[in-house]
Amino acid sequence: MTTTEKPDLSWLDDVTMTELERNPYRTYERLRAEAPLAFVPVLGSYVASTAEVCREVATSPDFEGVITPAGGRTFGHPAIIGVNGDIHADLRSMVEPALQPVEVDRWIDDLVRPIARRYLEQFENDGRAELVSQYCEPVSVRSLGDLLGLQSVDSDKLRDWFAKLNRSFTNAAMTEEGEFANPEGFREGDEAKAEIRAIVDPLIDKWIEEPDDSAISHWLHDGMPPGQTRDREYIYPTIYVYLLGAMQEPGHGMASTLVGLFSRPEQFEQVVDDPVLIPRAISEGMRWTSPIWSATARISTKDVTVAGVDIPAGTPVMLSYGSANHDSGVYEAPSTYDLHRPPLPHLAFGAGSHACAGIYFANHVMRIALEELFEAIPNLERDTGEGVEFWGWGFRGPTSLHVTWEV
Amino acid sequence: MGFAVTVGGRRVDCAADQSLLDACLRAGLWMPNSCNQGTCGTCKLKVVGGEVDHRDSPFDTLTAEERAAGLALACQARPVSDVEVGGAGDRSTHPLRDLTATVLEVADIARDTRRVLLGLPEPLAFSAGQYVELVVPGSGARRQYSLANTADEDKVLELHVRRVPGGVATDGWLFDGLAVGDVVAATGPLGDFHLPPESDDDGGPMVLVGGGTGLAPLVGIARTALARHPAREVVLYHGVRGAADLYDGDRFAELAEQHPNFRFVPVLSDEPSSEHRSGFPTDAFVDDVPSARGWSGWLCGPPAMVEAGVKAFKRRRMAPRHIHREKFTPADALG
Repeated sequence: MTTTEKPDLSWLDDVTMTELERNPYRTYERLRAEAPLAFVPVLGSYVASTAEVCREVATSPDFEGVITPAGGRTFGHPAIIGVNGDIHADLRSMVEPALQPVEVDRWIDDLVRPIARRYLEQFENDGRAELVSQYCEPVSVRSLGDLLGLQSVDSDKLRDWFAKLNRSFTNAAMTEEGEFANPEGFREGDEAKAEIRAIVDPLIDKWIEEPDDSAISHWLHDGMPPGQTRDREYIYPTIYVYLLGAMQEPGHGMASTLVGLFSRPEQFEQVVDDPVLIPRAISEGMRWTSPIWSATARISTKDVTVAGVDIPAGTPVMLSYGSANHDSGVYEAPSTYDLHRPPLPHLAFGAGSHACAGIYFANHVMRIALEELFEAIPNLERDTGEGVEFWGWGFRGPTSLHVTWEV
Repeated sequence: MGFAVTVGGRRVDCAADQSLLDACLRAGLWMPNSCNQGTCGTCKLKVVGGEVDHRDSPFDTLTAEERAAGLALACQARPVSDVEVGGAGDRSTHPLRDLTATVLEVADIARDTRRVLLGLPEPLAFSAGQYVELVVPGSGARRQYSLANTADEDKVLELHVRRVPGGVATDGWLFDGLAVGDVVAATGPLGDFHLPPESDDDGGPMVLVGGGTGLAPLVGIARTALARHPAREVVLYHGVRGAADLYDGDRFAELAEQHPNFRFVPVLSDEPSSEHRSGFPTDAFVDDVPSARGWSGWLCGPPAMVEAGVKAFKRRRMAPRHIHREKFTPADALG
């Protein structure tokens, strides 16, 4: 094969969603090697798979944000992750004040630590637990739920919502005709949204009349002329963004970090013994199994050539950050969790103007949760009688994590 | 043109157009970071010396007040001089001093074990549990010995020394020619093995495990802890090979009389005894204490004992941030 010859990518025709959800790494490893920007038929989209191409597309002036088709079907318009220009600027200005580091520092400890302790108290003397459902997810959703003003929605309901929105958002399979291959797959997301509306609409009614310090109340009022609020239809898509990704991913990040650490017992001990290492452990966990694995996209605003591929204007490109973070051109033995690997930046939080707005918040939720976990149960061990399975292509993390300890 | 960036004692080269974060990461020095574009604030740090150019640091992430207070975003800031970056917290420490001490007493207190008392012309500020470094006359070698003192015993330093056969500091000096009246050069105080400040000490229960002369700093720490909270629970394990290695039993008996919740437990590893516990002191702790939640733990001794202690404490669910350790390898064994 000469360098001008196009690689034969017919193998991509056989790639299925089920396979990607079970384990996307094999497919993307081959993509990175053969075609770092390639059209993947099952997704009906171009896909960027290496660190370099993901970063280039994410930060290029010739691309702007776009939501994936299944994501758009799930969230509606205007979701903060899929809009640009003035609407994007307004939505960012709406969500960002509460997420600024100075602001987060003011209350994060008082918010998250009692929540983490409360969940730990429920099982810390049991000697065994399933941490994803008993700790990682509950701490994640309760922290954000209380911040948003959803104190009245219990944690299991919030977990149920993100799980349903997740499966709908990542129901990405497309037919050759460019139709959704599995339209039924959106039903549970629609049901979740109906339930969300039934619960959140009355809260919005109240916040319109009686603003409080909850995030959604601020979204309604901040920057608006006196007596006016943002239209709820305008902010709902962004509420859904939060109720999916922002609710789910800190839990994914914690659980993946724990699984990674369990794969390196001596590193696990180091982190338990020295909590100062927790942020680094989380950073490597986010690289090793990036929670937002392939859920964001960009669209070209003009004809452009990327990685040798000519892309016409108006072409969406999915950013596979979970793949970029396993790029062997950047990371040695990328599929190995290694707390001590050369600490290079990763793309787990994205890049460019659509980079995650909640990085600081999420990192601190995860940090405090792991601090409290190791403080309460320093003798934690993985229950080796139970396996650990990861699931997800759009969003990825362990489905369960059984642990034991001496009480 | 480049500058030196100093972080926690480590120097890293940083080019004039290189961010502090990039320079540190490339040198293998990790610091928290996420977005690398100035928007998330994860890499915020304090510049304690030198000047940086904040470049494109957004005011949303790094406010004018924060800039004025010396904070910077490591991913954006470029050095314009050599720069020193603050580590976690600004813990005040006792200033390190060069000391000229006079030997006041040398006593054989156990098998191959001596107590050495050193008089100081001026009081030394230190925290109980810290150590000093002695200069071995003639050789220039330096050896570290923990202080058995409380902080108010600041004019006479008490050291416990174990003989190392052929050791330049012990067989060659402290167990050989050392005499009352000798002048000894030393540096101190050093080390971070000490109680938290009194204001942060809630009087919670403590377990201390010393191996051999690793007992020394625990003598100062236990007495300090009991002076602060006379009724607190304090268990002090002394692990030695045989009864001949034990010392200061009377001192601990007296302490136990004054403090009903203080226990001193000698544990002999190499000989059976009807009088004392046998085995390893960390195992004795596991047998004695069903739960160490809310306790703090203090370990000083050979590395294997310290490692076993950390495991034992965690097994009894002591929070790792309350586990304090001082590993001593007998430097004198190096000859």
